[in-house]
Amino acid sequence: MTTIFGIPMALLYAQLLLGIINGAFYATLSLGLAVIFGMMGIANFAHGALYMMGAVGAWFMLNTLGIGYWPALILCPLVVGAFGMLLERFVLRRVSHIDHLYGMLLTFGIAFIVQGIFRFWFGSAGLPYAIPSLLTGGVNLGFMFLPYYRAWVIVASLGVCFLTWFAIEKTRLGAYLRAATENSKLVQAFGINVPVMIMLVYGGGAALAAFAGVLAAPILQVNPTMGAEVLIVIFAVVVIGGLGSIKGAIIAGFLAGIAEGLTKAFYPEASTTVVFLLMAFVLVVMPTGLFGTKTQAAATSVSLPALAHESAFMRWALFGAMAIGLAIAPLFIYPAFLMKAMTYALFACAFNLMAGYGKLVSFGHAMFLGTAGYVTAYAAKTWGLSPELAILAGTASAAVLGLVAGWLCTRSSGVYFAMISLALAQMIYFLALQLPQTGGEDGIQSVPRGALFGFIDLSNPTTLYLFVLAVFLGGFLFLSCLIRSPFGQILKAIREHEPRAQSLGYSTDRYKLATFVISAALSGLAGSTKVIVTQIASLTDVHWSMSGEVILMTFLGGVGTLYGPVLGSFVVVAMQNYLSALGAWVTVIQGAVFVICILTFRRGIVGELITFVSARQREKDRRGIAMPAGSKVVTGT
Amino acid sequence: MAEILKVESLDAWYGESKVLHGVDFSLSAGEVVTLLGRNGAGKSTTLKSIMGLLPTRKGSVLYRGEQLIDAQPFEIARKGIAYCPEERGIFASLSVRENLMLPPKVSANGMAVEDILTLFPNLRERIDSPGTKLSGGEQQMLALARILRTGARVLLLDEPTEGLAPIIIKQIEATIVKLKELGFTILLVEQNVGFAQALADRNYIVETGAIVDEVAAADFDRRLSSIQSYLGL
Ligand SMILES: Nc1ncnc2c1ncn2[C@@H]1O[C@H](COP(=O)(O)OP(=O)(O)OP(=O)(O)O)[C@@H](O)[C@H]1O
Ligand SMILES: [Mg+2]
Repeated sequence: MTTIFGIPMALLYAQLLLGIINGAFYATLSLGLAVIFGMMGIANFAHGALYMMGAVGAWFMLNTLGIGYWPALILCPLVVGAFGMLLERFVLRRVSHIDHLYGMLLTFGIAFIVQGIFRFWFGSAGLPYAIPSLLTGGVNLGFMFLPYYRAWVIVASLGVCFLTWFAIEKTRLGAYLRAATENSKLVQAFGINVPVMIMLVYGGGAALAAFAGVLAAPILQVNPTMGAEVLIVIFAVVVIGGLGSIKGAIIAGFLAGIAEGLTKAFYPEASTTVVFLLMAFVLVVMPTGLFGTKTQAAATSVSLPALAHESAFMRWALFGAMAIGLAIAPLFIYPAFLMKAMTYALFACAFNLMAGYGKLVSFGHAMFLGTAGYVTAYAAKTWGLSPELAILAGTASAAVLGLVAGWLCTRSSGVYFAMISLALAQMIYFLALQLPQTGGEDGIQSVPRGALFGFIDLSNPTTLYLFVLAVFLGGFLFLSCLIRSPFGQILKAIREHEPRAQSLGYSTDRYKLATFVISAALSGLAGSTKVIVTQIASLTDVHWSMSGEVILMTFLGGVGTLYGPVLGSFVVVAMQNYLSALGAWVTVIQGAVFVICILTFRRGIVGELITFVSARQREKDRRGIAMPAGSKVVTGT
Repeated sequence: MAEILKVESLDAWYGESKVLHGVDFSLSAGEVVTLLGRNGAGKSTTLKSIMGLLPTRKGSVLYRGEQLIDAQPFEIARKGIAYCPEERGIFASLSVRENLMLPPKVSANGMAVEDILTLFPNLRERIDSPGTKLSGGEQQMLALARILRTGARVLLLDEPTEGLAPIIIKQIEATIVKLKELGFTILLVEQNVGFAQALADRNYIVETGAIVDEVAAADFDRRLSSIQSYLGL
């Protein structure tokens, strides 16, 4: 048998074919993502869910309605496309006039809802889907066996990619689209109904995703979570190709698939990470991707909620109230719940430093929480370090990871930043899954709590609680001082108007990187503490849904406010605790809460409260000024 | 003459900040009218908010007697109002031809492409090059040319001469005279007083988001010094 570098040729060809097929899916999916991004400026987190809807839809049509593969290949994309149009019209459009971040967050919530509903509906086991009879069998090419269906997948996706490319580059409608991508307002002013166009584009992207889903049904595992896994890969693909570039999406899609296939032949362990490595490499060499040209225009920033006046007394009184409240809370509430909520709250506060004050919304923050957790668990269990040293090691590892990730991420902003952070986090996830030290699916269990500084025994529940409380309050206080410090002020200035801050002589990149590292370290502190409390480090803490949860907590409570993330964490953890009996519905409810929050009170609970109070304060000031002196007594309530 | 566009107490906001404070003026069919004013006075904003391009606007915009204040930009354009922005707005990812053909026709009486290319011979030579490979003057011509094809009868032109060489200004001036002869109604934002005087039937002075004065063409010379002081010259 012929071999190349010790690998049999037949295996190489087989993996190459598999790679090209995966590439075909990646290309079709990232194409839709790229078109949607170009037109709407959002990274469509619901794309994976739409793809899954296509695949599961095909299964449903066959098994319940008796509709076969070929009709489903047309019908499914139509149905999902129509669903996409409704989503755009009634949900996404409501936030289209503000920062694109909110649109992105909405699609994120929608993905949760759709995936949760489908899991409830179809379970999470794989749903078998037979290859259509017309395409069973295959042909022997001499050097390898080519199944007909796989050949069809490649041909069909290439066809769809070409058609889409042609429609965009060579037709009148495509010209409208390209023009609207550059300047949608002006295109409207020429008499083109851009809102309808946007709806069609989102619908079209959804239909493309569903088409890929139906194509995938006979050869990939059909199940409700299949979209979430592929989503992160196609984000990396789109970043490699250059955001918004049609050509880039197609080429990078096939490239990624082939790279994956070849890696599988030579070094299977790395095959799931190679796309992310490729992405990191491309970003270092070409920050806008292979074919990306424009960097995203700075979106108008939503100003942070702030009180018109607040006194130092008020600040300390609030902090004191929180500290005392949490200190006596275990008398009334289950301490395990409180400790969990406090570690999450610290995590959310750390995330908020970046998302709120630095306006860098990371979709991969779980990597810091999780990495620190693993390091702490390993240090405490294998090396037998005392808890404070184990936590220190965890926090330090998160900070180092933050430095590397931050160096890669902070070169970009907005959507790029979100996608890159997510992709990096996914790399960490795969590492956690595969490294021998992390224990794979089992994680690291029964981590000893040990004795703090050698003599404070943390296995005592009260001591443990006080320890967690101290860590949380310490972290919180540190962050609140940081935000008020000159450093925090500069951060806010960068957030409001980066070019202006730059022109004042601040090296904004360094500030962003510093913020990133601090945020990572504190997230790590939260993760390490969490491991000491729960005595287990597991994959859930590095999973992307954990990154999603911290976003939810922060935005629900109020991004860019001090207490918002704390409140948000308590609400979310309470929700998870009390609703856990509902199983898959928890995801749906979380997603729904998220969507409702973004649609109706996007400043978050605390943010809305602050806005309300400060409006009252201003009103009072105004009246106070308008009143003649002496009548003050009347208004002074 | 029939009033074709009537703007009354128009207020407009960029987010929280209010930029127009009760703009009032009107255009009669076939007129060339300018808006003059200092930088930041609100001239461009007036044009944009007539097109409905600002996030919020209040007041009244009547076009041939029809209220447009609640209409979307594309609906306003389809009524027959065309807009040429200050920054020209040539699309980089479109060729010159695609740029020219982009705005849909809003009525049957637009200029033929052939006539447009005769009016702007430069464009004919570059018809297949990318939009941004044009010189500043050529981009301005393209921005003008592109709205002539559509059949819109009212043109809102924002500083078509900005940053151009005198010879090209002359050319654009001639074009506008020609358009006036063809019966177009033109609202022109200008900083170039000479250019305004040569073309306009009437001039409005804009200051801090409102119309503060009106000067008819016949009074232009007599009131030149006050116009200049309005413009801070
Ligand atoms: N996108 C925007 N967001 C917020 N404020 C704006 C925006 N564009 C303009 N403004 C403000 O609105 C006011 C009017 O601006 P406008 O562009 O209408 O002035 P102009 O008269 O056209 O000036 P110029 O002669 O410099 O073109 C200015 O004070 C400006 O600062
Ligand atoms: Mg202007």
